[in-house]
Amino acid sequence: MSVKFFGQFLIDQGEVDASHVREALDLMEDANPTFGEISVKQGFMTTRETVEASAAQRSRDLPFGDMAVELGMLTADQLVEILRLQRSQKLPIGEALVQLGHIETDRLGTLLDAFKADQAEYEVANIDLPDALVNQCATKYILELLPRLLMRVARMQAKVGDVMPFELAPDYADIRVSIPIKGTRGLEVALISDLEFAEQLAMAASGISPKDLDPEMVADGVGEFLNVLSGNAVSAVTKAGHRVELGPPDYEATLSDGWIVELAVGDGHAALVLSVF
Amino acid sequence: MSRKLNVLLVDDSRTVLAQLERILNEIDDVSIVGMARNGASAIRMATESRPDLVLMDIVMPGLDGLSALRTIKSMYPEMEVAMVSSARGDAQKVEEAFRLGACQVLGKPFDAEIFGALIANTCVVLDQRAADEGGQR
Repeated sequence: MSVKFFGQFLIDQGEVDASHVREALDLMEDANPTFGEISVKQGFMTTRETVEASAAQRSRDLPFGDMAVELGMLTADQLVEILRLQRSQKLPIGEALVQLGHIETDRLGTLLDAFKADQAEYEVANIDLPDALVNQCATKYILELLPRLLMRVARMQAKVGDVMPFELAPDYADIRVSIPIKGTRGLEVALISDLEFAEQLAMAASGISPKDLDPEMVADGVGEFLNVLSGNAVSAVTKAGHRVELGPPDYEATLSDGWIVELAVGDGHAALVLSVF
Repeated sequence: MSRKLNVLLVDDSRTVLAQLERILNEIDDVSIVGMARNGASAIRMATESRPDLVLMDIVMPGLDGLSALRTIKSMYPEMEVAMVSSARGDAQKVEEAFRLGACQVLGKPFDAEIFGALIANTCVVLDQRAADEGGQR
């Protein structure tokens, strides 16, 4: 089980197939107003300005809205308002599949309830965080999902400690893998551990026996776990309507100022180091 | 299951390849015909071994999974390709994978039951296609 979108869930359940999802995506693309269309309708931008912002995107890799703000065509508040309207006016994939006749109208509610139950494992409660991390929406998902995913992936128990200021890397940090989560404000998530924890995780995740494990595989096991953890957090944040994306993992992470969260684990030592950028 | 399904695995992580191999080896009538660690190798191995199903990571160094998916589907439209959303749960990438012809996008951590369903569904699709082709002759 992982954080997934409704279309993926429906295919898993055998309710629709990939061609139905493709049809629904096409319908949604036709039905959903673009950012530019909404901004013109709201009177925030002129049609000419939308053309100029689109043209500017050819030379710079920026989302349309960000580009319009940068060019002085939109204010930050207007950008937020348009994104809110875009979300609220979006044709959901379930509705699109109903319109196309691939799902019965009266079955949609049952399937949405089943989807919600399937994804309940990934709902997280609010947890106390330092001020600088409060607005990092991915942080709470990272901290809440870590023990659940460690149990699911490797059958390893872990308890997440308090979020403490990071000063110096613990002397057990033989393995240091980090992944950047890029958004309005970035979050660097590093998983550090000793070899004992890393080997246990790599063996459990891959099913490879200790004698076949090499150093690359050990680091890869930790990196892949961090990948899964951060990816599921990013999916959850994306589903909540925020724009974030993952960067590539760094297997020789330099730990910078931020916070450290020690993990109480059965085998070895491990911790998360979080820093904002 | 009436046929042997030839599967090509593609992921830059050796841990994930080992994990996929372990899961698929527990499913009857599945034969792993190769393992690639980037998109370019995946295209080459797909050409050489002509698998029935390619299981491929979306994000990989070098030629990524979506680019390889586009190429494989243009060369072999009949080849079934399921993408593995390698933790980058990005709605746009998932949508793009479907648009490029993926038959499913699987998330991590893996659920062994989902693979059983994927293999069974792929066999149904291939059997149906074979029956359709037989009927046209």
